[in-house]
Amino acid sequence: MIKTIIHFLVFPGFLFLSVAGGFVSWFDRKITARVHFRKGPPLLQPFYDFIKLLAKETLIPKNSSPGLFLLAPVISFTATILAGILIILPAFGIESGFQGDLIVIIYLLMIPAISLIFGALASGNPLSSLGASREIKLLISYELPFLLTLLALVIRTDMSIKIQEIISEQKLFGPFIGSFSGALGFIVMMMCVQAKLALVPFDLAEAETEIVAGAYTEYSGTPLALFKITRYMLFFIMPSFVVILFLGGFDFKGWNIILSIGKVLLIALLITLVRNTNPRVKIKAAMKFFLVWMNLFAILSVILAVLKY
Amino acid sequence: MGCLLGLVPDKARGLKGWISFIFLCVVFYFSLIVFKMENSSLTLTYPVIGSLSKFFHFRIDPLSKLVVLFIGFFGMIISLYSLRFVDGGLDYKGYYSKFLWTLAASFGAVLSDNLITFTLFWGFLGLTLYRFLRGSDERSVAAAKKSFILIGASDSILIMGLGLLWLKTGHYMISGMKVTLSGEVSIIAFLSLLIASLAKAGAFPVHSWVPDYTQAAPGSVSAFLPASLDKLLGIYFLARICTDIFILTPWAKLLLLTIGSVTIITAVMMALVQHNYKKLLGYHAVSQVGYMVTGLGLGSPIGMAGGLFHMINHALYKSGLFLTAGAVEKKTGQVNIENLGGLSTVMPFTFLSALIFALSISGVPPFNGFVSKWIIYQGIIDFGKGFSLASHLWVIWLGSAVIGSALTLASFIKLIGGIYLGAKRSKFKNIKETHFLMSVPYIIIALLCVGFGIAGTSVILPELITPVTGPFRFIGLWESQTVGILILLGILLGVIIYLMGNIKKIKTANNFIGGEYPAEDIQYPSVEFYKTLTDIKPIGWIYQKAREKYFDVYDWGKKIVLWASHILSGLHTGVLTLYVVWTIISLGLIILLLL
Repeated sequence: MIKTIIHFLVFPGFLFLSVAGGFVSWFDRKITARVHFRKGPPLLQPFYDFIKLLAKETLIPKNSSPGLFLLAPVISFTATILAGILIILPAFGIESGFQGDLIVIIYLLMIPAISLIFGALASGNPLSSLGASREIKLLISYELPFLLTLLALVIRTDMSIKIQEIISEQKLFGPFIGSFSGALGFIVMMMCVQAKLALVPFDLAEAETEIVAGAYTEYSGTPLALFKITRYMLFFIMPSFVVILFLGGFDFKGWNIILSIGKVLLIALLITLVRNTNPRVKIKAAMKFFLVWMNLFAILSVILAVLKY
Repeated sequence: MGCLLGLVPDKARGLKGWISFIFLCVVFYFSLIVFKMENSSLTLTYPVIGSLSKFFHFRIDPLSKLVVLFIGFFGMIISLYSLRFVDGGLDYKGYYSKFLWTLAASFGAVLSDNLITFTLFWGFLGLTLYRFLRGSDERSVAAAKKSFILIGASDSILIMGLGLLWLKTGHYMISGMKVTLSGEVSIIAFLSLLIASLAKAGAFPVHSWVPDYTQAAPGSVSAFLPASLDKLLGIYFLARICTDIFILTPWAKLLLLTIGSVTIITAVMMALVQHNYKKLLGYHAVSQVGYMVTGLGLGSPIGMAGGLFHMINHALYKSGLFLTAGAVEKKTGQVNIENLGGLSTVMPFTFLSALIFALSISGVPPFNGFVSKWIIYQGIIDFGKGFSLASHLWVIWLGSAVIGSALTLASFIKLIGGIYLGAKRSKFKNIKETHFLMSVPYIIIALLCVGFGIAGTSVILPELITPVTGPFRFIGLWESQTVGILILLGILLGVIIYLMGNIKKIKTANNFIGGEYPAEDIQYPSVEFYKTLTDIKPIGWIYQKAREKYFDVYDWGKKIVLWASHILSGLHTGVLTLYVVWTIISLGLIILLLL
């Protein structure tokens, strides 16, 4: 039990995830700046942001349900850490009593979005409400392709839903991305990750230029800091998840460390480049994109996986 | 036990409220005793009934024990809620007497081992369901009629199935039936029994009475019958069909899984666009049945465990949701989501309970709905290793189950957001929290939802479910207790971060709406969230057809009956000679047939 608590709080839980996530987030901002021909922030900028927000005053809207409004960021943060350790523990090959399968991870990764929605609705602001509406519609659109790509992988690993077995299968037969079904699944997965991280072109829930800050409009000070650190953590967790599922996982022997870090940064780079080269889409277009095209790709990936391609 | 059950209605007639609550506490205690009893079967023998005693054959096995326990529980908890709910305003003649009759009939149906006795109790339940809805307006009369006709029709199909079963086996005892599904007789018998159980539980295509009924019925009745008792009984009977009465073939499994998936998706899609929250809950009462049918349709111990556990969980959170909905309706008098808003601050306990139920039904970990869904998903993946056609289609079953749960979440965000969150309405400023006798029942149920979630795999499953299904092994990993502790820890960490932050400087401020101060009630109501969905072409078309009742068996039946009666009414010309001619012709026909 003590071991699990340490996993949760220190490594690979809260501390590790937020530090790693902070660095990936810095990487994203630096690359974005280079794309814009700017200099970009210093390495510790994400942490400065977090600490600065802690020092700011917290505003609670008059019209809100204060309890849920303040609880939502905490729940989002907790679920993210849980999902994070369930993904990272097997990925780093750490023996632990605490385990979870793919279904659990799918559900835990939904919670940050859900709590953001509840937080936004609790604030009583119509603009937040709009953001929440967009977020939930996006969620129900990308959930099916996200699931289907995972199921294609489950088929490839002889119907196992354990992360360890997905990794060991790839150790034996090479990364899944090297096959047709894997490559298709990878494309779909990247799009879903983009939407899960709420980045352009799917940052509809936030959409600063349209609806102030959407779901985040009423958040300030500490609660916003919590949301921020949740997003840092997700920025590390989601790329790592993709690496585990498609790029053969991590390896920490000798020079392979650099390769492993390189994989995560490569995925982060892809995400950053997509977000910097695309405009934001409308909600209907986003829904159609996921419901029609991504589902089609995902179903194709499942069929190819059944046919063992 | 039979003695006791016989006494229930007699004692209660004419007595009300508290007496029936205390009585139901005793009944719950008895159902606890039944739950603790050894497995046995007993035959009731009275000198009076004499040779009829073969019909009064009762059976106590893990499955019936489980269902009896929860029927007793819901009887107690909902009667407690009714104390305030019914007394204050709603004049319901004979409410408690009907309540106890219903409960007694349910106990009888669950415990009886003889299919004839079972059908008697079963049919009686259809009657009380009808009587509970005292038609005060046209819509509720129509809803009551619809429920009665659908349930009644399915009961008559059930009786036909019984006849066929008798033809096949020569007796009416559920235990020791085990009919193999081969040949037309047994297949038709299977289908007719299936229709009866699905109509009671409310699955596609015989689901359409549920939303109409819940829309018209008061909260406590919806919580009592369609949400908990009818589910428990319908799924109980389905479990009996799948395990004791018949042996499932791959085709039967395919049928059940298809029914399950279609039910999940269609009902939840309909729920998404509802404005009336009671009707929305009714559609969810249908949608969730899909999970149970899927679980039982897998035909494996793990699937069965998932299905039965989901049945219990569903009965818990859905009855809780109806109870909270009843509380909201009683306090505000509104039934449409768009007329409500911001109730969370005036009714905090109701809000918290409703939030827990909503998260449970959407399958958010660590609540109970997640655990049972998780077991069903594993059942499906495990089933996918098989070689029949149904096994090869496992991705479809799993996909529709998971997306169904995401859509459930979406529609509950609409419900919670619309009723409890959002901008406060000035007209609801003076509303008070419900009387504690009303709120205690759903708070208890909410606590049970959390408890069943946290202790799901470690305590509840081995205690309640595994005796029914036999041992099985999970293929996934989930430690609900550890997760529960970690979530507490996470919340603690969050609080610490709050304390680290500038907590002293909390201020309240007006909503920021682009820096302007528009009218007080301006908001983007959550009922409008899913309009985009109906804009997308094929989906919008399906919604259009659903609104025109293309998917409603009752409506089709009504059309056919009206058409037939239209033809027959053509014969009623009022000319006496014509009638005489008809009589003579039919007499001749009968004589011809007899000869």
